[in-house]
Amino acid sequence: MRMSVELPLWRALAGYRVLTMLYAIGLCATAYDHFMRPWVAVGYYAVLVVWTLATLPRVANAASCTRGFLAADLTVALTGILLTPLADNHERIAGGGPTLPSIWTAGAVLAFAIKGGWRWAAVASTAVAAVNLVERGSPARDTVHNVILVWVASIAIGYVVEVARASERTLARALEIEAATRERERLARDIHDGVLQVLAMVQRRGAVIGGEAAELGRLAGEQEVALRTLVAGGLLPVSRVSEDAAAGAVVRAVDEPYDDEPAGPVDLRALLARHAGARTSLAEPGAPVELPRPAARELAAAVGAALDNVREHAGAEARAWILVEDEPHEIVVTVRDDGPGIPEGRLAQAEGEGRLGVAQSIRGRLRDLGGSAELISVPGQGTEVELKVPKGAARARGKAEKR
Amino acid sequence: MTQQQDPIRVMVVDDHPMWRDAVARDLAESGFEVVATAGDGEQAVRRAKAVAPDVLVLDLNLPAKPGVTVCKELVAHNPALRVLVLSASGEHADVLEAVKSGATGYLLKSASTGELLDAVRRTAVGDPVFTPGLAGLVLGEYRRLAAEPAPAPDTDTPGAPRLTERETEVLRLVAKGLSYKQIAERLVISHRTVQNHVQNTLGKLQLHNRVELVRYAIERGLDEE
Repeated sequence: MRMSVELPLWRALAGYRVLTMLYAIGLCATAYDHFMRPWVAVGYYAVLVVWTLATLPRVANAASCTRGFLAADLTVALTGILLTPLADNHERIAGGGPTLPSIWTAGAVLAFAIKGGWRWAAVASTAVAAVNLVERGSPARDTVHNVILVWVASIAIGYVVEVARASERTLARALEIEAATRERERLARDIHDGVLQVLAMVQRRGAVIGGEAAELGRLAGEQEVALRTLVAGGLLPVSRVSEDAAAGAVVRAVDEPYDDEPAGPVDLRALLARHAGARTSLAEPGAPVELPRPAARELAAAVGAALDNVREHAGAEARAWILVEDEPHEIVVTVRDDGPGIPEGRLAQAEGEGRLGVAQSIRGRLRDLGGSAELISVPGQGTEVELKVPKGAARARGKAEKR
Repeated sequence: MTQQQDPIRVMVVDDHPMWRDAVARDLAESGFEVVATAGDGEQAVRRAKAVAPDVLVLDLNLPAKPGVTVCKELVAHNPALRVLVLSASGEHADVLEAVKSGATGYLLKSASTGELLDAVRRTAVGDPVFTPGLAGLVLGEYRRLAAEPAPAPDTDTPGAPRLTERETEVLRLVAKGLSYKQIAERLVISHRTVQNHVQNTLGKLQLHNRVELVRYAIERGLDEE
């Protein structure tokens, strides 16, 4: 059984009832000589012992603590209080002596509080208060004091129990929702896996059959990559993806005014995922790569520019690879293509003639972030653009702007 | 390396019959001996123990028993078994877990038939088969291990595995899509050396994983007594 917040309360109540029963008997035993009719007290205690022990299972939890039991329990307590004047002598009662059940009575009131909250507790403690005043015969100061104590305490406990129960319900609901979400995600994964399999299959068979089927296969392959990227990215919230995609389209036009946006960190992988495709592979560390939003956007835009550059210079059929690395002090993103590469010497020459427009715009973006961009070309192994952004890039950027 | 006297004995595990049959057919047509197939995890473990294949082509998303568990159990049972993971979704955690527990190859299902056949051949002779994506994951895993606090110097527990500079260099080139041949050219080392470096990166990770498992088992065992 799940441990609930009320279970300890019921246990405490059971213990309280037994201990206070023993206390009441002890209290009577020490003053046995003063009693007018000790047999009334003995008779009552016999009933009290049997009742308390026999009803222990009743105070084990809320379900077994029925209204009938509560009423009977309160009756036992009230009867005990009313029997007190018959058993004990009047001097002791007038002097503020204990009733027969003594503080055992509070147990009965507490049971009301735990079972039904503060309203039930108020009713039960009011009954106890009334009977106590009847037993005493007059509203003496100490009796009123005790009555108010029981009142306040039982109502407070009743209230606390209600609050605890409400928060437990909320927690249970939250756990339920979480479990349902997890299950949904698991199902989604299974479904995605199935769809991916079929798409991959279509792609595979299409390539073998050729002709029109090859075109179908190619389309299936593109969708396969798109869906796989989404799934592998850990089921991103859709809103974020579309928001970034929208920003990606205009990111060139808008260069500066980022100040009004929240600067919370974003996962760079989410921004780069949309670049992955049939001809572009994305390798990443398998954990979030966090950068402040403006820096992440700039970096993603730089990667986009580098990929455009690949399409332009190495052809639409060129393949590209993006590698994201999360180093202790910097983020490194490399974009490589399998184009012919740039022969040695030509690079410096082209740069000198100012013909490396895109490369320079990439470099500019990275410089603003306090990072660097390096162009490496090995003949026969394509061209690599290595983009480095130090962590804490937002601060570096702020400094750069002040200068 | 295709000049083998005996055909390579392959077992294909996948829950999609269409896919499983296609892969098995492609393999059989290219001279591999497909000794068994299985459609779920339990079946896979039973049959693989019975037929002892050289190479297990394993999907990770399986009913009855996840592919990662199948890989763990079978590699523990027969360390000579080579596992090539063939996954549709390439979920990072699963792929990394499979590689740490003994798989030496990983390929996406979108790979072409030619790539698949080549990957099975290479897996059979013990060459690690990496996609750029897997190389990126492995690099990330080493970096995460390096970021963990080092064990106290007085205990004799080995620290987290580290990559040598050369190994990091090689892995980064794999992640950037270079073939082993291109890597060998660029670093002016032999093709074999490139393979060894890649293999070492996997070997250290798998060893670390086994050590961690044993340590975990001991700690748990001592705690319970």
